[in-house]
This record gives sequence, C-alpha cells and structure tokens, in this order.
Amino acid sequence: MKPQIVRYPEVGGELPPLTKTIVQRQIDCYSGVRPHSIHTDPEWARKKGFRAPLVQAMMSTAYVSQLMMQFAGEGFIRGGRMSVSFIKPVFVDETLTVRGRVKSRDPDGDSTRVTVEVWCENQDGVKTMVGTASGIEANDDRASKK
Amino acid sequence: MVEFKPISYEAVTVGEEFRSDDFLIKPEDIDTYAYAVDDHNPWYFEDSPFGGKIAHPTLLGNQALLMRHSRYLLNAGLHAKMQFEFLEPLRAGMRVRTHGKVLDKYERRERHYMVTQFETRDEETGTVLVRGQFTQMIFPQSGVHRETTNR
Repeated sequence: MKPQIVRYPEVGGELPPLTKTIVQRQIDCYSGVRPHSIHTDPEWARKKGFRAPLVQAMMSTAYVSQLMMQFAGEGFIRGGRMSVSFIKPVFVDETLTVRGRVKSRDPDGDSTRVTVEVWCENQDGVKTMVGTASGIEANDDRASKK
Repeated sequence: MVEFKPISYEAVTVGEEFRSDDFLIKPEDIDTYAYAVDDHNPWYFEDSPFGGKIAHPTLLGNQALLMRHSRYLLNAGLHAKMQFEFLEPLRAGMRVRTHGKVLDKYERRERHYMVTQFETRDEETGTVLVRGQFTQMIFPQSGVHRETTNR
C-alpha cells in the first residue's frame, strides 16, 4: 500500500473531530467482562459511588490515536507520542467528541514533529480528558494538504 | 506461587517491578479492539505502508495497565494520567510482554497515586514496541474517595 501522507493543519488549525457514543458492549469488549468491575458490573459501580458503569479511561487514548492517524499515520505508528490526563469520568452511553488543535511544528531530524493539543468533551461540553499528542510529518513532496 | 495481597498506598513501594504475562496478538484481538473503540482503519484489516496489516498502536495499553493485577487485589481504581511513545508497529502474530517499574507514589488532596513506567517488547526479537508511563489512583479499601462519586 502506498503511504497516505496528509499534512497536519498549520499551527492553530483544528483537526476534524471524532464523535463516539460508547455502549456497554464496547466497554465489555475493551475491559473484559467481570464481576466487581466499575466498568462492567453496574451494581459494583454504584457501590463504589458511580451512577453507572464507567468507560475505561484508556479508551480515550484510542480515540486520540484515531484522531492523529488521520494525518501522516506512519509518523504516529512509528514516532507518535501522547500525554494525557483524565479529568472527569465518562459513563456508559455518553457521547464523547475528540478534538485537536495544532500547537506547534518543530524540527525532528529530517522531519517535522507536529504537536497537537487534544481533548475529549462529553455531550454537555464538559472536558473529560486533556493533553497533547504528536506525530512525525515527513518533509517531502508526497505530502498533500487536507 | 503468587501470593496476592490487597493493594494499598502503604503496600506499594517505589522501585517495585512488574511483569505481565506474555500475550500473542491475534487477528481476533485486533477485530475486537476495533469494535470496542469503533476504529476500522484499513491499515488494521487490509494493508499498510509498513507492509501488511498492523494493529492499533494503543492495543496493548491494558497489558501495561493491568500488570499490577499480577500481584495485587484491586477493589477499584481510577486512571489519572497516561503517556505513550509508539516506536514500532504492532502486528498479529507477535508475542509481547510488558515490564514495568513503580517510579513514584504520592498523596494529593487526600488521594493516593502511583506512577508506573512501562516498556512493551516483542518477545522473539526483543524490539521495544511501545513505552510510557501511567498514573493511577489507589482507592482505599474502606470505600471510595468522596470527591469521585457521581461527578
């Protein structure tokens, strides 16, 4: 397969957002079904103080990965970085929007490292995860603007 | 024989090392992961610029995160921070294992946290595939932190 190289937006530009409504079966597949789990056992989640099962926070890192892979995916698979904080819980059946805005472009060897400010927000606009992700963008003529 | 003990702030020690079980990445794991996170990029199912199919770069995150389950009993926990560095593509057929080490533990606003560094390698070649670190809140055995409820 020929590499699909699409340049990230310029600094300040936003990446096309992703929207995810997360159902229990997806959480079950991600976290593994077991009793006494705040992710897959509703009664246990309530016992631990949560109104419903929690989406495993790590799932948001997969969404960030998908967001970044829209651009220069090779440079994320080999050379990608992510650093995020999970600041609010996400509950089953909630809808997350995953967003990114290019923060900087810096030389990285013969290439450019593009750092993106990333965050997830729920259906009420409350941020649930914040951080940065970066990928390597090749400096060659194969790249095209998206 | 592993003797499991309840996890607590006091029980965890800085410098303590963890080791996951080995794990064979199977096509069905990639399929299940794609469904779970709703990401069906053709690179994971058809072909990629790396030659052949690869797997989601975050596929093995839980192998790292769950390392402490190989020693401790956990009644619940919350994930506070995550860092990844993706070094090489993951592929079905790789047998992988994650090693980790507790870098720090600390208390903040009456909550306890532990920070673990990890590295995931291809067992056959020794190639480092992914590395990073994560911070997890340690729940008290008595229940939950008041501030975490029903936010």
